[in-house]
Amino acid sequence: MERIHQGRTVDRGRPTRRGVLRTGGLLLGALSAPALLSACGTNAAADGAGNVLRVSQPGDPKTLDPQKQGDMVSMNVLINMFDTLTTRGRDNQLHPRLALSWKATDARTWRFALRPGVTFHNGEACDARAVAFSIERLLDPATKSPIVELRYVKGVTVVDRLTVDVHTTVHDPILPAKLSLFGGVILPPRHLAEAGDAAFAEHPVGTGPFTFVSWRRDHELRMRAYADHWNGRPSVDGLVFSPAPNASSSLAALQSGGVDLVAGLTPDAAQQLDGYSGVTLDGYTGIRTSYLSLNTLERGPLQDRRVRQALNHAIDVPLLIKAVLGGKATETPALVPRGAFGFDPTVKPFTRSLETARTLLAEAGHPHGFSTTLTASNVDSNVAEALSGLLARAGVRARVNLLDPGTYAARLTSDNRGALGPIYLAASTVWTMDGQSIVQSNVRSDRRQSRWHSKEADRLIDIEELSESPTKRKEAFSDLQRLMREEAPFVFLYQLDNIFARNDRPRWTPGSAGVLAMESAEVS
Amino acid sequence: MSALTLDKPPAPAEAPSRHRDTARLLRIVLRRLGIALFVLLCTATVSFFLVRLSGDPVKILLPPDATAHQESVLRASLGLDRPLLTQYLDYLWGLPRLDLGDSLVYGQPVSKILADRLPATIELAAAALAVTLVIAIPAGIFAAMRRGRRSDHTVMTGVLLGQSTPPFWVGILLILVFAVWLQALPASGYGTFANLVLPAVTLAVYSVAVVARLLRSSLIDVLSSDHIRSARAKGFGPLKVVLRHGLRNASLPVVTVIGLEVGNLLGGAILTERVFSWPGVGQLTVEAISNRDFPLVQATVLFFAATFVVVNLLVDLSYSFLDPRVRTSR
Repeated sequence: MERIHQGRTVDRGRPTRRGVLRTGGLLLGALSAPALLSACGTNAAADGAGNVLRVSQPGDPKTLDPQKQGDMVSMNVLINMFDTLTTRGRDNQLHPRLALSWKATDARTWRFALRPGVTFHNGEACDARAVAFSIERLLDPATKSPIVELRYVKGVTVVDRLTVDVHTTVHDPILPAKLSLFGGVILPPRHLAEAGDAAFAEHPVGTGPFTFVSWRRDHELRMRAYADHWNGRPSVDGLVFSPAPNASSSLAALQSGGVDLVAGLTPDAAQQLDGYSGVTLDGYTGIRTSYLSLNTLERGPLQDRRVRQALNHAIDVPLLIKAVLGGKATETPALVPRGAFGFDPTVKPFTRSLETARTLLAEAGHPHGFSTTLTASNVDSNVAEALSGLLARAGVRARVNLLDPGTYAARLTSDNRGALGPIYLAASTVWTMDGQSIVQSNVRSDRRQSRWHSKEADRLIDIEELSESPTKRKEAFSDLQRLMREEAPFVFLYQLDNIFARNDRPRWTPGSAGVLAMESAEVS
Repeated sequence: MSALTLDKPPAPAEAPSRHRDTARLLRIVLRRLGIALFVLLCTATVSFFLVRLSGDPVKILLPPDATAHQESVLRASLGLDRPLLTQYLDYLWGLPRLDLGDSLVYGQPVSKILADRLPATIELAAAALAVTLVIAIPAGIFAAMRRGRRSDHTVMTGVLLGQSTPPFWVGILLILVFAVWLQALPASGYGTFANLVLPAVTLAVYSVAVVARLLRSSLIDVLSSDHIRSARAKGFGPLKVVLRHGLRNASLPVVTVIGLEVGNLLGGAILTERVFSWPGVGQLTVEAISNRDFPLVQATVLFFAATFVVVNLLVDLSYSFLDPRVRTSR
């Protein structure tokens, strides 16, 4: 048995070897052919289109029914197929889209005059009936819409073919802004009635600059330029969205030409892409604003204003931005981010000084600091750990408690205001570009995430939420931010940049919210 | 693994009767089917209640600034405010009609979402199976023929390493080498053959180890038996002996384990799909869990359970067919 040692025939026997080589050759051939195809074949995409722009973002849309989604990733895709009533320009002002003009006719009515001659991709006219239908569909519980901004809207009336009145329960000064994204999408009533919800989500029909072509979930979504768009045909012939869940796949896609523009990069991911040939990184000031919420309602050091100020002095935000976020963020002096209505440039950030922090802590009776917990979602683990380190330098020992995003979200909105512990890290994307969006749920004492109660703050919030005069609202925001700068119920941190990586083909500038509306994009 | 519970060995005294064999086989099949259905019912029940312990999906569906009223309206329209028992019975009632409810997040019927994702998972499993066979069979034969020597140890150590390395780590390593350093293959994505290579290899690593080790040990058993010695005496070369005579006899347990591996490949793709963002059922499962998409989680869990149950059923039944005591009563 074991004396048969013609090992060679096995080891290096011709048949085996040849077989290996043959399979190897096959494999190589098979590998290179698709690679070549995908490298040159993508741009002459099968949409019958010439120049195609390929965009990737971290995820895939949840659904293509614009009223059954509430996340930025889905909206980024849908905004190209659907138009909203209003839109935020790059100047952060509200501009006409399907609505040409709007005004509050009384405290509880906004009147919108619509753009004439707009058609849906199927030829159906987009008129006052379509607008009324869309908003009513959004509010109908049967739609199960996760979009919540239109909470004060109670109904819509058609005034004439191109005029609608939107009725609210209280005066809602920022309703036009709320209609610039999720809540303002207009759908074709006749088509929906004929096709039904399921078929509509399979093949969406809007008035937007691009028409739907195909969607392979988690792979790619294709659109084609809509020649009859009211704003003229977009410059690119085709638009392709694909999900790219990690930096290495984005890099590979950019370098192989499979993707022209990568959006939604975290500072971490951007650092991984930095310095590669053929990859350009662009950062634009964004409006995702991060802060620490301090619980002043429970007994403990945080009830003392001096302690809260001390934390603000101790946390060196510029250092945090440089060290952890690769410089891809901007310090925010108060809750309202730069670019949003209500931001007050005269409110200055806290001086970052451990000395001041220690002095304030000692005055408050904590000469040796104190121990606490800092809770965060595990997606923010880097920032949370860094914050804990910065606090430790001033003697505040904050144990980091990381939760999975689902648990974090559930506790954030639970009725127990202490559910996330004495200090938690939170962030809010202020896409309405109005300070109200970030203030509304965590300042006024009757709101769910409010952990600091001040009669003065409540009064100022009522003014900015209900007043019809923009000047009055602006003043209220300024007063509120000065009050919060003094009382320090939060540690104000930063607003994250919108970071994009691209090859040299696309030319496109995003607005502050970083929405991927590609109508204005060009490719070479 | 499949528990081989055969009926009592047949009474040898009786004359052979094809009819009785068929009846016995039928009994075995029916019993197995009954057990399989029971297992699936248990899985459905456990997953239904377990997933509901994870928390309230409405909290994830709605942004943090939603009001309590908006939350309760959505909860009601999703039917999540009904009594647990009602929801459970409703779920069971739909199962036989393959109605698994609607996804809370995607708004589509769960069965449709699963059907959309299934091809990618099957594709990946099939490719991984091909990789497994292409690597494991030669490796097993080679190691068996060189048993006890250094080359045998080298191959088997490599195989064992593969078996003990978690797939996500293998995947990340492969991405690092082939996608990032060599830039030879895409790191993730779907659609071309090149996309398939790394995930298929990652998924196959474990199965290669299982199949190669079993093949080696059964070959070694067979090679030391008498008829192999007589084959050798006829002057056949060692490779010929193994291929012509050894493999045939060593194949039964190997075929069985390959069958079981098919189940593993279909069900083991969660981590691999996640790493390579492969748009299959595994990736869907992870998304569904993080979204607390109850109906979808229940469906994916049931799918994986069904995969294993069906594979085990087939393996068991093939045993019953192949087992001489069932096939022919001597």
